[in-house]
Amino acid sequence: MSARRRLIDARLHLLDRQVLDVDGEPVTTVDDLEIVGVDGDAAPGEPAHVAAVLTGPVLVTRLLGGDPPPSRWLRVPWSQVGHVGITLDLTVRGDSLDLDWVERWVRDHVIGRIPGGAHDPEEDVDS
Amino acid sequence: MTGGGRARRCGAALIASLLTLTLCGCVASRQQPGQAGAAVESALELASSAVETTTLTVTLLDDDRLTSAVADTAIADQIGELADASAALTTLVPPDDDSASARADGLDAVAQATAAVVAARAFVARDAGAELSDAGEVPADASAAVDLLDTASEAIDALLGQG
Amino acid sequence: MKKLLGLALGILTAIGGFVDIGDLVTNAVVGSRFGLSLVWVVAVGVVGICLFAEMSGRVAAVSGRATFEIIRERLGPRAAGANLAASFAINLLTLTAEIGGIALALHLASSIEPRLWIPVAALAVWLVLWRVKFSIMENVVGLLGLLLIGFAVALFLLGPDWGELAAQVARPSLPEGEHAASYWFYAVALFGAAMTPYEVFFFSSGAVEERWTRKDLSQNRLNVLTGFPLGGLLSVAIAGCAAVVLMPRGIEVSSLSQIVLPVAQAGGTLLMAVVIVGIVAATFGAALETALSSGYTLAQYFGWSWGKFRRTVRAARFHLSMIVALLLGVGILMTSVDPIAVTEMSVVFSAVALPLTYVPILVVANDPEYMGDHVNGRVANGLGSVYLVIVLLAAVAAIPLMIATGAGS
Repeated sequence: MSARRRLIDARLHLLDRQVLDVDGEPVTTVDDLEIVGVDGDAAPGEPAHVAAVLTGPVLVTRLLGGDPPPSRWLRVPWSQVGHVGITLDLTVRGDSLDLDWVERWVRDHVIGRIPGGAHDPEEDVDS
Repeated sequence: MTGGGRARRCGAALIASLLTLTLCGCVASRQQPGQAGAAVESALELASSAVETTTLTVTLLDDDRLTSAVADTAIADQIGELADASAALTTLVPPDDDSASARADGLDAVAQATAAVVAARAFVARDAGAELSDAGEVPADASAAVDLLDTASEAIDALLGQG
Repeated sequence: MKKLLGLALGILTAIGGFVDIGDLVTNAVVGSRFGLSLVWVVAVGVVGICLFAEMSGRVAAVSGRATFEIIRERLGPRAAGANLAASFAINLLTLTAEIGGIALALHLASSIEPRLWIPVAALAVWLVLWRVKFSIMENVVGLLGLLLIGFAVALFLLGPDWGELAAQVARPSLPEGEHAASYWFYAVALFGAAMTPYEVFFFSSGAVEERWTRKDLSQNRLNVLTGFPLGGLLSVAIAGCAAVVLMPRGIEVSSLSQIVLPVAQAGGTLLMAVVIVGIVAATFGAALETALSSGYTLAQYFGWSWGKFRRTVRAARFHLSMIVALLLGVGILMTSVDPIAVTEMSVVFSAVALPLTYVPILVVANDPEYMGDHVNGRVANGLGSVYLVIVLLAAVAAIPLMIATGAGS
């Protein structure tokens, strides 16, 4: 990975972008960002960095205002973000992430129970 | 965010006023004479359309251009329309004598039309092979059914011509 | 040879896929009450849908992203969220109308009550969404929908006075007994029926499903620019049949059975059968498209994995949202509401929701970050701006006209 530095506007290039996992599968959109100061909470004027990508109930508070408690956040630690372009590409598989639990729940309890779900729609076709 | 809050309140007010306007349009238990006349006229036009549709259907069936299933569905749909026309008239509250008599005449015409359309449907059923006794005065053939429908249509047209 | 077949298939499916229950009902009602004096609206609508389908296909082919994904990135979560809510509601209404249309058409073909067909139709739609490959689905339904050409055949067989019909088209006038307000109400409804909002989302997501690239751009343009106008001609044929057979008798269309009577008069039971199959196919196809649009818009807003090209277990929430949408539609229909009434409402509200879906696509098609050097040229932008004004006018006028005319009565 290049050590060249890029200037990214967090609002333009990070927020509301699609997050893809290492296989290119969609994970979520960036609903919010966790910004942390050098030691502890961020304060205006102090240096800060992005600690994590957030999703889940933070979307509602972002639209309407307010602050959800940290325990309700679904986070992807910034260390797992590999590349920032039109999309945010992770270095890990989506399945291994905590925040995938909704998809997994729906898959296990609803979609997976309906017969025929695992069939690959692309397999029996001339290419 | 207060901006968002204000926008939401405006939106809610807009929706409320739209709803109120719509409801005011729908609710009118007592009309002006002109409005009552218009309501009778529109019910009669609906009935006329239903009778004409039935006439066309019976004619096409007689020409073997329609299956009995489609003919039956078409006529059944028109019976529903006639019920709507009748309901529109019965829920009217005529504000004066002229409107009251126009409404009464309208109800008679719609009833006659309904009888003709129901008879036409019975004809279609028997034509398709159903065993129906003659007690219900099922028309013997297509032209008998059409005659009934034409008479009903003329009655409606006469009222529409007057109004 | 194979390329030629592919080309033909694209155009044919565009023609067959153009008409849905909204076009069918609205054109028939308009034909029976106003003759052909509203055909100009169909023309305006066809040009508009060509413009926006070409744009949304181009956006997907060049950027590899579907429209709604870009809407949220470009316009922010609030605007996109409002857009999502409105689009989902209109989509649901349209989906309900389409399933109702399938049930009505099947009722015509059999003697079985529409209420019994409703769950069957929804189940069939779901099965296709669950198992059938995207391109097969599109091709089969599109080709069968071509059978609606029976309406054009019927119009010819009826032997109308072509001069008089042409005069109605060229010099629109108000038939006696109709008010100007009703005329404009039906103009808006016809516009909403032609420029269906879900088309933008379905078209661009479909382009991603079928993995379009820049090489497919010219095929996309060809399909859209030949297929949709020909589909528009089919709509006009439907109006024409109603104008020639129903209008002189003072018959006002309010049920599907009335819409096919002119076909029976022209070509008997055989042509009628052909047309009924065409109606089932067209409404079935439109039901598939609206259901998919519901799934696409939700999944693309929230960033879920989506697409029929994925195994269903890899796109669980996408498929769940489509199942929920279908269940909601069936629920609404089982209250015995008249599907024709739902259809008439859905086209009016489609007109109201049009700006929400078309402004974003215009914005994105002009964004060089996504489009590279395939951004809108001057022609596309010029036309796009004109249509923005038309779309806004229609959206603003729709509800007042609906109230003023009592929904056209």
